[in-house]
Amino acid sequence: MPRITINGKTVEVKEGSTIIQAFKESGQDICHYCWHPGLSVAGVCRLCMVQIEGMPRLQIACNTEVKDGMVVNNTSDTVKETVRWGLDFHLINHPLDCPICDQAGECGLQDQYMKFGSYDPEMAEKKVKKHKVVDLGPTVVLDSERCILCSRCVRFTDEVSKTHELGIFNRGDRSEIGTVEGKPLDNKYSLNTVDICPVGALTSKDFRFRQRVWYLKEGDTICSGCSTGCNVKVHFNEEGVWRVKPVYNKEVNGHWMCDEGRDTYKHVNLKVRMQAAQVGQSGAWQLIEPAEALRQVGPKIRDLAKTGKSDKISLLITGQYTNEEYESLFKMAKELKISKAYHWFNKAKDKDNFDGILLRGDRNPNTHGLLDAAKAHGIQLGSLEQFSSGASGAEMAIVAGPEDFAHFPELESILKAAAGAKLLVWLSSGVPNGLSEVSCETFAIPTKTYIEKMGSFTNHAGLKQCFKVATTIVPQALNLSEICELIQGRELNWALRPKAVGGAKANYAIAEQGAL
Amino acid sequence: MQESKLLTEHYNKPDFTSLAGYKKYGGYQVLAKALKMEPKAIIEEVKNSGLRGRGGAGFPTGTKWSFLPNNGEPRYLLCNADEGEPGTFKDRLMMERAPHQLIEGMVISAFAVGSKKSYIYVRGEYDHSIAVLRGALKEAYDAGFLGKNILGSGFDHDMDVYQGAGAYICGEETGMISSLEGLKGQPKLKPPFPAIQGYLRKPTIVNNVETLAAVKYIIRDGAAAYRKYGTEKSAGTKLFSVSGNVVKPGNYEIPLGTPLKDVIFDLCGGLKPGRTLKAVIPGGSSAPVLTAEESMKATMDYECLAQMGSMLGSGAIIVIDDSNSMVDLLDVIMHFYHHESCGQCTPCREGTGWLAKIVHRIRSGAAEPKDIDLVEKVSKQMMGKTICALSDAAAMPAISFVTKFRSEFEAHMQKTRSAVGGSAHA
Repeated sequence: MPRITINGKTVEVKEGSTIIQAFKESGQDICHYCWHPGLSVAGVCRLCMVQIEGMPRLQIACNTEVKDGMVVNNTSDTVKETVRWGLDFHLINHPLDCPICDQAGECGLQDQYMKFGSYDPEMAEKKVKKHKVVDLGPTVVLDSERCILCSRCVRFTDEVSKTHELGIFNRGDRSEIGTVEGKPLDNKYSLNTVDICPVGALTSKDFRFRQRVWYLKEGDTICSGCSTGCNVKVHFNEEGVWRVKPVYNKEVNGHWMCDEGRDTYKHVNLKVRMQAAQVGQSGAWQLIEPAEALRQVGPKIRDLAKTGKSDKISLLITGQYTNEEYESLFKMAKELKISKAYHWFNKAKDKDNFDGILLRGDRNPNTHGLLDAAKAHGIQLGSLEQFSSGASGAEMAIVAGPEDFAHFPELESILKAAAGAKLLVWLSSGVPNGLSEVSCETFAIPTKTYIEKMGSFTNHAGLKQCFKVATTIVPQALNLSEICELIQGRELNWALRPKAVGGAKANYAIAEQGAL
Repeated sequence: MQESKLLTEHYNKPDFTSLAGYKKYGGYQVLAKALKMEPKAIIEEVKNSGLRGRGGAGFPTGTKWSFLPNNGEPRYLLCNADEGEPGTFKDRLMMERAPHQLIEGMVISAFAVGSKKSYIYVRGEYDHSIAVLRGALKEAYDAGFLGKNILGSGFDHDMDVYQGAGAYICGEETGMISSLEGLKGQPKLKPPFPAIQGYLRKPTIVNNVETLAAVKYIIRDGAAAYRKYGTEKSAGTKLFSVSGNVVKPGNYEIPLGTPLKDVIFDLCGGLKPGRTLKAVIPGGSSAPVLTAEESMKATMDYECLAQMGSMLGSGAIIVIDDSNSMVDLLDVIMHFYHHESCGQCTPCREGTGWLAKIVHRIRSGAAEPKDIDLVEKVSKQMMGKTICALSDAAAMPAISFVTKFRSEFEAHMQKTRSAVGGSAHA
């Protein structure tokens, strides 16, 4: 392995690494825009200039391979001056409209100017006028004047999504990113271009103008959109969650995530959530505390078990819960001798689909975990059809329903089928359509969404990924483990419950002490 | 003084363009000779001749050829006929007057480097050159100088003419390769160099029209005979395109090392009556300008001009007399580079535009003295910072103009334009 000296510090790097990778690995600052670890080298921003001993000219670190014994620095006055001017060249035609720019606060130009620039600009000419508010496609809007032509987005559509929608048109300082007529930027990964855009040129239609990023907090979690289990962070404030962005994980998703996964914040926000337990039946509903509802329904379940009627209880489970929740659920089933369990596998026929990049046909984060847990507990899971046909006339149905309704088109019909039992315990994060018409005795309990709980999902490949609580939107919602505890007549430590909506700090205590 | 007509000996004969006429003056006899030689011996001969690239960079041709890797991959020979450097018009003459000379030189070169396919990439505006070349190619194919088993040697070679789309940047070798590949004409990152991964990511040699044509004469007469022309480090003859304020502008073939003074005042008939020499651009618009005093001392070879801080470039001599304003000229030059920057690298994309705007503002009389310094500062930061040399090509004239003719630029601050002459429009 070659050893090189960077700013006086000797580091050992992998054979074939570039100097910029060596900088990154050794944790040293280097200015750059066009280089991105997930894309090919373009070498056009000319900011990662370094001085290599024995070479007369400055070299770009992104396209220079390390050689054993190389001595490199980017702290000499020549390099600093070059980078300072390089930044100025980027900024002379940039509109500097930070106050109205969505990228402000997470902008490469702002950050790098503060770190490597800090000069008085000498540009006194009129700036080049380019197209504003260019509609590139269903998800992304372009402001060409803000664009610094780093070509990251073009390379993304060429190399990652392989959809080739974007190109750079015209030449010189008239160059602009654009699409060909009739072929808009429309692919399942289009919003990654917004993430990798170092400036405010590409903005997400879903997010733009909605929040100032410096008011947002972030929390890491695992995307619940499919069985790939992309590592993501959610951005939220007191009003709710606003967006989902990918977090690098070499093993799972690399640098990217799909556009559908970015929509998984939409089912966690307050206005689509069930905020109190709904107890009763058609025409006679009452809203009560979820815990209170469980204190009422718990004895009924336990009575059935005590009187040897456990086989009259059927349990229907989706693949949307954590491994830890399944563990609690199956433990409870064992304790109450419930043996009829069914797997609600939505879109089951698509389960093995894969688009070759990230998105999988199994739109549940933890089908793998559910099957593993059932196997570990010796529980044979029946099919959704078996549940539907056997539910009618049963004493009781307990449904651990979905949190993300978007992928459950059969939701209403399953609710109807489940309502064939004499008593229905329905668990889900939102209020399903048709709930108010259910005619059997029903306890609908709000559950937590993936951003509100800690635990682990096991992805399609069997990789178990743990995550903490990112934030809390509905504090009264319960996770499956808590629900099982209450059904079995055991109380929770209420002192540890989240008190306020939002605010990661308040929730960290829960995460660390274990809400499960 | 007289021209030394080696390449251009028969250019004044109208039938030299046709195959029959070309053969009359010994055409394709050198090819027959070359095909009987070892390819390595040809490369060695070219190396010994001291031939340097005539397109602008002046890189030793034989050395370039020996960079090709021996990996069994197909190799390409590209002829750079995208003559775009302002002031240069020699390749056009060579293609229009002597298309077979180029083809013969190319087949010899292709044989030396082991290439079975070559392209002549011609500047988009050169419609006539392209027509002449296409006609000559057909003749050469019909006569068996191209195609399979050329002259019974067992060597196969195919050649095509490709018409560019009129971009200056496609004269840069990797920009040309991109364009030939059907991509936007933008230079490629180096490494890898074209000799390793060029056209279609295969080993590729790119040479200028004049370089390839000269190979014929090196093989015909031998390296030693070629070396009799020129100087130690600048061997051979070179075509110079002389334009500007001389009595007889045009293409002249002279040995390298000829004094610039002789070229202007003898070959080209000097300046128009009553005019005095102000400056000379010795190697195309990207070469730093020489003052009248410097140009009287200059000799037209790689080393002398490099020593004077300028360059031989493509051999375009632009003569400027006292009827021109240096500010006007720089404005035009900066407009050109702004227009032709491909826009890939930031310092060039933004810098060329910035320079064009500052210089234009100076020309219009709306500038302050500090703007002259800014031209120099911006230019210096554009040099050596980009993928290709276009940025340098814009910066070098800018620096030389404002430093050597600062007083003219300063005069524009005071709006006393009559002091320096030139057009009043801006």
